[in-house]
Amino acid sequence: MKKIGEGLSCSSKTEVEGELIYIQSINDVIDLLDEAEDKICLVNEAGTTTLGPILSDLSGVICTTGGVGSHLVLVSREFEIPCIMNLDIGSENLADLNRKQVKISTENNNKGILYLIN
Amino acid sequence: MEHINFLITSMPDSVLQGGKGSNLIKLIKLGTNIPPGYIITTNSFENFIKASKFNDKLTELLSKPFESNEIIEHSAKIIDMIINTQMPESVINEIKRGHILLNEPNSSFAVRSSASIEDTTSYSFAGQANTYLFQKNINDVIKSVKKCWASLYSPQALLYFLQMKKKNDILSLENVRMAIIIQEMINSSVSGVLFTTNILNNNHDEMLINSSWGLGEAIVNNLVNPDMFILQKDEFKIIQKILGKKERKSIPNSVRSGTVIIDTNMQSREKFSLTDDQLRQLHELGLKAEKAFNRPQDIEWAFENGKLYTLQSRPITTK
Repeated sequence: MKKIGEGLSCSSKTEVEGELIYIQSINDVIDLLDEAEDKICLVNEAGTTTLGPILSDLSGVICTTGGVGSHLVLVSREFEIPCIMNLDIGSENLADLNRKQVKISTENNNKGILYLIN
Repeated sequence: MEHINFLITSMPDSVLQGGKGSNLIKLIKLGTNIPPGYIITTNSFENFIKASKFNDKLTELLSKPFESNEIIEHSAKIIDMIINTQMPESVINEIKRGHILLNEPNSSFAVRSSASIEDTTSYSFAGQANTYLFQKNINDVIKSVKKCWASLYSPQALLYFLQMKKKNDILSLENVRMAIIIQEMINSSVSGVLFTTNILNNNHDEMLINSSWGLGEAIVNNLVNPDMFILQKDEFKIIQKILGKKERKSIPNSVRSGTVIIDTNMQSREKFSLTDDQLRQLHELGLKAEKAFNRPQDIEWAFENGKLYTLQSRPITTK
């Protein structure tokens, strides 16, 4: 396992493994509709509006900006799925993470860590 | 008036005013500072649809089962019908009369969706319906009202209801009503969200605040990494301050209605967006709201010229 990013862990559920899907538009959500179950979605800004229709199917969400006050956190907490906000992945390319197996875990003081599973 | 309820004189009624609207009225009755305004009731939306030429077409489109790949096309058709249909004269006249009766009829306005299923403890519709800030004149307010009505049929909203139907949920578009809140715009220097319980560690003896420069849409829409403050709840004490990047802010568009996002300067990023005195005021607001609603609250707030305004309060739906 390789640590690829760190952010703020914002939900009551703190750990999950699964396939990561990088969502950039509503078209990506439509394409994912029939297989959203148990996926972990990665978004940039305004994730709640885009992910809203499939949030109840997902097993985790990650956003590269934001904080605990965002709508995405509120809804993730309602569905009790892990949520990392403000994920910093350094020089990694977000698109390269699409369809990869990842793990979200939470360490001290609500540090949300993203691992790439080989 | 038939179509509008003034915030300051009305009784709360979530069926007519939507969840957000009726909560605002409850907050006024608590004595909290709310930007003045009124609500265009859910009846107006229903009357608009029924009186329009597209009512039958809309019913037909929504009653047929549709697949996800038809969403974009269906949504575009419905939104086009709504935007290109004249608002009833009776509603326009009441909006104009409502404006004259406000203290500052020439200021800018926020036009905010208030759906009848939003902000309940059952359905997570948070972030799905639209808000239009800094609408500079009555014509732009009226256009934004129609855009809020139309947002009920955005691709995201249609997809949401399609998914609910597949799960055999009873919720459908026929159950949803849209009220619209029109309020004098607060040009906030700093804004954010206050949770009256620490939702990061479920500590009910603490409060948690996110704040950043400019308008609050930057925080709720994940545009910035905000400052974070943890406060003791029973008696004001600052437990922790964490400096956020606050890399951008939302400010009024100087040319036309709406807002723009700009980068913040280094000096703004490197200092905390709230003073200890402002934290104290937020603490007091949090205690008051939590006590009045008898459960932990998620409160959106803003400071303008040193004055604290409450923009929304809803129950925390956390586990």
